[in-house]
Amino acid sequence: MKMPPNPAPRPDGELEKLEEVWRTPRGWRFFSAVNNTNIGLLYIGTALLFFVLAGVLALLMRVQLAVPANTFLGADTYNQVFTMHGTVMMFLFAIPVVEAIGVYLLPNMLGARDLPFPRLSAYAYWAYAFGGLAFFCTLFAGLAPDGGWFMYPPLTGMKYSPGLNADFWLLGIGFIEISAIAGAIELIVGILFTRAPGMTLGRMPVYAWAMLVVGLMIVFAFPAVIAGTALLELERAFDWPFFVAERGGDPLLWQHLFWFFGHPEVYIIFLPAAGMVSTMIPTIAGTPLVGRRAIVAALLGVGVFSFGLWAHHMFTAGLGVLEMSFVSAASMAVAVPTAIQVFGWIATLWKGKVRYDAPALFLLGFMFIFVLGGLTGVMVAVIPFDWQVHDTYFIVAHFHYVLIGGMVFPVFAAIYYWLPLVNGNRMSETLARWVFGLMFTGFNVAFFPMHITGLLGMPRRVYTYAPELGWNGLNMVSTVGAFLFAAGVALFAVDVFRTLRRPEREVGNPWNAATLEWLPSEDYGNRSIAHVDSHHPLWDKPELAREVEEGRHYLPHTATGRRETIATSPVAGLPRYLLVLPGDSWLPVLAAFGTAAFFLLLTVKLYPLAWISGAVAVGAVLGWMWGSDSPPPHEAVDVGAGLHLPVGATGRASHSWWATIIMLVVDASIFASFAFAYIHVSMRLQVCPPPGASLPPLMQALASCGLLALGSVLVWLARRGLGKRRLPWLVLAALGCALASLALDLYGWRAGLDPAASAWGAAVAALASYQGLHIILLLVLAPYLALRAWRGRLGPRSRATLDNIALVWHYTTLQGIAAVAVVRSMPLLME
Amino acid sequence: MDTRSRSDKEGFWRRVLQATLPLLIWIAHFAFNYGLAAAQCTPGGLRPGGPDRVLLGVVTAVALAACALLAWRRRGALLDREAGLAERVGAVLAVLALVAIGWSGLALSLVGGCA
Repeated sequence: MKMPPNPAPRPDGELEKLEEVWRTPRGWRFFSAVNNTNIGLLYIGTALLFFVLAGVLALLMRVQLAVPANTFLGADTYNQVFTMHGTVMMFLFAIPVVEAIGVYLLPNMLGARDLPFPRLSAYAYWAYAFGGLAFFCTLFAGLAPDGGWFMYPPLTGMKYSPGLNADFWLLGIGFIEISAIAGAIELIVGILFTRAPGMTLGRMPVYAWAMLVVGLMIVFAFPAVIAGTALLELERAFDWPFFVAERGGDPLLWQHLFWFFGHPEVYIIFLPAAGMVSTMIPTIAGTPLVGRRAIVAALLGVGVFSFGLWAHHMFTAGLGVLEMSFVSAASMAVAVPTAIQVFGWIATLWKGKVRYDAPALFLLGFMFIFVLGGLTGVMVAVIPFDWQVHDTYFIVAHFHYVLIGGMVFPVFAAIYYWLPLVNGNRMSETLARWVFGLMFTGFNVAFFPMHITGLLGMPRRVYTYAPELGWNGLNMVSTVGAFLFAAGVALFAVDVFRTLRRPEREVGNPWNAATLEWLPSEDYGNRSIAHVDSHHPLWDKPELAREVEEGRHYLPHTATGRRETIATSPVAGLPRYLLVLPGDSWLPVLAAFGTAAFFLLLTVKLYPLAWISGAVAVGAVLGWMWGSDSPPPHEAVDVGAGLHLPVGATGRASHSWWATIIMLVVDASIFASFAFAYIHVSMRLQVCPPPGASLPPLMQALASCGLLALGSVLVWLARRGLGKRRLPWLVLAALGCALASLALDLYGWRAGLDPAASAWGAAVAALASYQGLHIILLLVLAPYLALRAWRGRLGPRSRATLDNIALVWHYTTLQGIAAVAVVRSMPLLME
Repeated sequence: MDTRSRSDKEGFWRRVLQATLPLLIWIAHFAFNYGLAAAQCTPGGLRPGGPDRVLLGVVTAVALAACALLAWRRRGALLDREAGLAERVGAVLAVLALVAIGWSGLALSLVGGCA
């Protein structure tokens, strides 16, 4: 038998110290906890609450549609109810719940004590919880959005939606997007850099692969909708006519931006579920996953292909036939990697010996429903068929088969499977059969008839229908099915509460799973961090749980007296350094509250309060950053097994450097979306710039770029001058250059740019505003950096603030130059 | 321990590129074809007779050839149980990209014009 890496007995008091450092605060201080286990559970619970709330809205719709000419809900209320149902399900349940499960599961599954930025996770959760609950409450004031979950203009422009309802959607979704991106950055860095020693990319669980792909998808997909919502809100607030056809705008621009996010989002929701399925199926079949590496390839393939499908939501919008055909081809191509996964799961079940307990039932239900949804997906990828069923109940049936089948059933299977991690108790198998029966039957009774209703011509989103149209019986059946499904969910909720109230017991490994999350775990994660040398560590090494519990693997103690985990290399999982983690704090809660309040108060036009809230958010973030880049207490520490690791890392070896890079990729993607809007609007012109609009003199633009470049040079010199007195002055001089560049831009644009006159002018102004926003960011960061330098908080081993702000600075310079190049090139190309 | 980035020493980016090159070809092909077809059907770049199908066809043929070459060179990894993750993933993705680009080529051969 192979010896554990750290075979010597552990000294007395070591475990008690570890427990003390990681202890979860009690009472009301619990809400200051940042540990992934606590935040993950709160996150999952809140997402499930939104699932129930949005489900209630669905039942209201089904009551309304049960009989023709019903007056249960009026048209306006129905509009709000269906918009909130879709919005809450997609933005407040589906995306958050998959991220939440990742936050809860991944550290333990990867053998880490926590994710690398626990306070960022806490911030992401609280921003979502505060903002989401406030957003939902708009329904009770009649202020809920009512333009459908994809909020197409011109319906959602000021002309047809003059109230605040659409603004609540646009600004309300803003903080949810911020929360999702924060979560994605956390998950990507965590998966790449905090895996257990020895856990190579090849040995990494498929679920972690799925979450890595999803994290990257969020990074590229969400910026499009962030840009889209910003443009629509700018149009509504300042009359910048991006989507007004009469003034050179184009409503299709919104559809492009929205669906470039919206279609990948379907896979952002599905892939984590697929990852869970690939983790659970080998356990319930008792055999390794068939085609594991092909399934990893399929996850990557689906993730990338999904970005080529956005326009299949626009087949009736008047795109060119060739463009539509490319999108149609991509829509069919994405079925191939999806099928690889499905065949892999079927082969695993075929090869193994399946135990038909609760998770297995839901997984089989998932496969049945999801495959049907996938098949109708291929049907609607065929352009002429889509023309017939677009915006009918056939589409409603299709996407509910995909989303409920592809995501809700796996999530329920996951809850049955992983709930024992919380307090050691499994949910009732007897009740599970009732729950599954009700949900599976109810789902199919509710949604299968909708295929027919749609083919009979019933459009989606109508609040009622005439009795002679022939849809009466089918709608009544759908309503009965919806209530059956809801009864299953209610029974499930009762069982969850019952199980969580039962006394805590030892968790063990109730399903005989192979992955690390089933190692004995407390607030600190595992007592020691396992050395992994196979794909199925718990199957291949049954004594691993005991060894880990006895502290015979890495880091069985707190080496620095603080929270910490081991950072490893991204490919081979080799230990690199000890990552010291921040402790519990109220600052993420305060920052999240400030963020949510800023967006919501801005919506109701309480500007002073909104700005105060924004300042509170920024102050709280700076407060939490102030203490996070301190020199590590030790140069290097012993993490067991004779392994000495440096404490912390700098530059490209640092996890914070990678997080900043990912954030800047998000930033660049948002900028690219604005640039796309500008190109799209320009291409619709016969003459560019349009009559009455003009660009400032070229020399002025070049001077602005030169000032930005000079600022970057000064920041580069400041980095080289670390520890010298000139550093803060160089940074402030660089800020002067950036502000002068902004002033020059503002002066130049005043000459001939009226954003309200034409969509072209508005698009240029949007690019300029985004650049201005970055300069304002530098206005906050530069004094902060100078202050740190003056207070002696920058040094060779505490330089992350300097390095990361320098990255932001150089990015701002590049973005400014790129903006000038894009804006100037279109008139030249169209001459 | 050296705290410089170990990702470079492990060939992180080389492996990422090795595995995902077929997807990058698909992205480049799709973006070019969709972009050109869209641009040549809008007022700013309108081309009489519709998008330039010869250019689109050449680009598609090049992309198909690149993916076919990658799939051929990595064919061993499809059957070899001992093949590394990057090799196997790269091989599967080469086949997937080949299928996806082939499908686009089919559309190109059947459809034309802007209407």
